[in-house]
This record gives sequence, structure tokens and C-alpha cells, in this order.
Amino acid sequence: MRELVQQPLTMWNLLLIVLAAIALLLVVLVFVTYAIYFERKVIGWMQLRPGPNRVGPLGLLQTVADVSKLLLKEDTRPKQADRILFALAPVLAYAPAFTVLAVMPFTESLQFADLDIGVLYYVGLSSITVLGVITAGWASNNKYALIGGLRSAAQMISYEVALVMSIVGIVILTGSMNLREIVEAQRDVWNIVPQFLAFLIFIIAAQAELNRSPFDLPEAESELVAGYHVEYSGFRFAMFMLAEYVYMFAMGTMVTVLFLGGWLPIHPALSFIPGIVWFVVKFSLYVFLQFWLRATMPRIRSDQLMSFAWKGLLPLAFLNILLTAGFVSIFA
Amino acid sequence: MSGQFVAFFILSLLTIGGAVFMISFTRVVHMVVSLGITFLCIAGLFVMLDAEFVAVSQVLVYSGAISILMLFGIMLTKKDDVEPKAHRNKRKLISFLLVAALFVFVFLGIQASPWPNPEAAPQPVEQSNPKQIGLAVFTRYVIPFELVSLLLLVALVGAILMAKKEDGK
Repeated sequence: MRELVQQPLTMWNLLLIVLAAIALLLVVLVFVTYAIYFERKVIGWMQLRPGPNRVGPLGLLQTVADVSKLLLKEDTRPKQADRILFALAPVLAYAPAFTVLAVMPFTESLQFADLDIGVLYYVGLSSITVLGVITAGWASNNKYALIGGLRSAAQMISYEVALVMSIVGIVILTGSMNLREIVEAQRDVWNIVPQFLAFLIFIIAAQAELNRSPFDLPEAESELVAGYHVEYSGFRFAMFMLAEYVYMFAMGTMVTVLFLGGWLPIHPALSFIPGIVWFVVKFSLYVFLQFWLRATMPRIRSDQLMSFAWKGLLPLAFLNILLTAGFVSIFA
Repeated sequence: MSGQFVAFFILSLLTIGGAVFMISFTRVVHMVVSLGITFLCIAGLFVMLDAEFVAVSQVLVYSGAISILMLFGIMLTKKDDVEPKAHRNKRKLISFLLVAALFVFVFLGIQASPWPNPEAAPQPVEQSNPKQIGLAVFTRYVIPFELVSLLLLVALVGAILMAKKEDGK
């Protein structure tokens, strides 16, 4: 698959590339459908209720029904909204979410593009989504949407700094920003052991980047109705929800690749199990953590949010870089 | 017609189009969005030149910058603030002449400059893109690099100082 991008562009190659992209999109859509189902189930069980169990066996078709409802719904647009930007915002939010998946190495051979700057590519492209969120907030011409958009921008930009800084330690250890090489470098020991501090910072900053609890202030239902997408309905609302869950998919992949050894088995003796299975197991652990946090953590207060990022996480990330650089320059 | 040519054509069209619309739009948020499109397409042009690191840095720096600019645009202007269009013809004529002169100079400059033969151009080396940049920055250009970072630090401290002063009033 990697070689395909390097070859000269012919009609046949173009067709193959398009088909591969569609296949990935289908995988992501199935993931999103069942991530939402399991989210509701897991939260339900944690709150001692059954969760969705009416549509289909065990409620398995619940999300399918919800999505078809969304797609069949009338597409409403506020009269005073900015027509073009209102339509552009969901695209700006969703397109980067899907494009970041291009560099993700799922297994040794299953990767779409092998970039030397894979880590930066992810961080750079995912920051475009903020633009979509602010555009949505402004174009809706609604004060709750605007406040939600502004909160979201402030939060995502601040936590992005901590997120990037926590990855620097791994880049120093590996000597590369190539995601595949980062996984290969974890053959002896996974990065979560030498970079445990970075792992904690990354997990916390990732929650804020994903706008998920305990950092779901931009969508705080009780104060902001629904944040930046309050005026959206139908297909466009579905695009925002999709972007959110695709980012969860991408972030889970990043955590697995950067800290949990990607497709590598937990012990070389277990390498008869294919890499993709290991990948899915580690990835599911992260996704489960998301649901667990959502069911159990209260929302953080808005004034604590910024000082926590700038005065708590960022200095810790710098400390981690300093320790890693010192360690590498002394022992290597 | 190669795929590269098509990509270059689309990207340059969007880059120039974004810049032109940035000037002709009258609402701040519209301007910022079209400026963002220009910056993203410049990143695309960098990718076509095999400079992935520069391209991604461009996206990383400017998408954040664009978002901040948009926030300021939203906070410092009214919702329906529309910038009145300038109608003075005399000024338009002068600026047209200046722009035309600039175009002629740049065009002649590009025409006159010797271009290396694409066949003879150095082939991309085996080393990775970021590695080469890192080696160049931290060996050959280390002093300018450190001076620039010092300058940025001074600017940062200055900005904090100015913000603090207003707070203390």
C-alpha cells in the first residue's frame, strides 16, 4: 500500500488509491457506529441500567437507526446565519479528521503513507479542525454557539502545546518522527515505561483535544445547550459528530503507536498472534478508557482549565523533555 | 499533462484566489477564512517541492495563527461590521500603477535569473527531510538560530509585560 503512492500516477493506480481510501472510510464508519453503541452500553452498565436494547438484537442496530434518522431529517439553517460559512464549517472540521489517518501505521504493512514527519503531520492537520469549530460558532449567529466555539478554540490551542511537548521525549528517544520507526524502536520495551510522565500528559491533553469529559466544556449541555453545533441538525450535525469520533479513532491509534508499541506483541513468545489483533486490543483499551472517564468524571471548571494547561501540564512536559535529553546524552 | 501539473495548477489557483478574496471581502471572518485557504495551499506547494517538513510547519503555525486572528476578529468587531469600500478613483489609479511596476520588476527578475537544469539539480539525498534541516540549523546556522529564538523570547516577555500593565490599573 505504501508503494502505491510512490509510483507514477496512472488511472489504475488512482482507482486503487480511491478504493483504499473508501475501504478505510468504511472501517472508520463501522468503528464510529459501534463506538457510540458501546459508549452508551458501557455508561449504562456503570450507572446500573441496561443501555440501548430495543432496536435489533441486544440493541445492536440502535446507532444505525439514529444515523438514518439524522440523515433523513430536514436540513435547517437559521435565517440570520452566514450561509456559506455555515455550510463550510462541517467540512473544515471533518476533512482533517479523516486525512490524519493517512499516516497511521496499523500494522507493519498496513499503512497508507510512510512520512518521515508522521507525528508532526498528525498534530499539524488536526489543528485545522479548530478553525472549523470557530467558523461554525460564528456562522450560526447564536450566542451559545459563539461562546462554545471560543471556549473550544482556547482549549484546543492551549492543550495542543502540551500534547506536542509530551511527544518530544519519544522523538528524542527514537531519533525519528516516523511513526513506523517509533513502533520498531519499542521492540525491547514499550515507550510507556521510560516515558510514563509523557504518557500521563499525553492522555490528559488528548482528552482536552478531543473535547471529551472531563474537558467537555465547549459542549456543556447545562450551560451552553450544545456548544458550537447547537444550530446544526441533520446531515451537518452528523458530520460534526463523525469528526469527533474519527478523532477518537485517530487519537487511540496515536496512543497505541507512540506509547503501547503499536502492533508489537507484549512478549516475543506471543508473536504468533497477528499484529493487527495486538493493535486492536491496545486500541480498544484506550477507547474503553474514554467511556470509563465519561461515566465517572465530573466536568472541570472553566477558570481552572487554562491554568491547568499552562501552569501544570506544560512545565511537566518541559521537565520530561529535559530529563529525556539528559538521559539520552549521558547514556547514549 | 502530468498529475503534478494539475496539482500545481489547482494549488496556485487557490493560493492566488484566496489572497484576492482576502482583499475584496468586506467582513473580517470571511477575510480570515480565505487567508487560511491561501496558507493551506502554500503548504501544498511546499509538499510538491518535496519539503514536507516546511509544509507541515506551515500548517502547524498558521492554522493556530489563523484561529487566533479569527478570535480577535470576532471579539473586536461587531457582528455585521462591513468595511466600506474605497471609491476614490485617483488612489485606485496610483495603486494600480505601483502594482503594475512591481509586477514588471518581479517578472523581469524571474526571467533574468538563471535556473539550474532540472536534470543537473542535486538528487534528494538518502537522509530524511527533518534530519537534514536539523543538522543544518544546529551546525552551520546555529548562531542565527539562537539569535532568532532570543528575539522571540524577548517579544514574548514584552507581550506579557504589556498585558500585565493593563491588568494592574
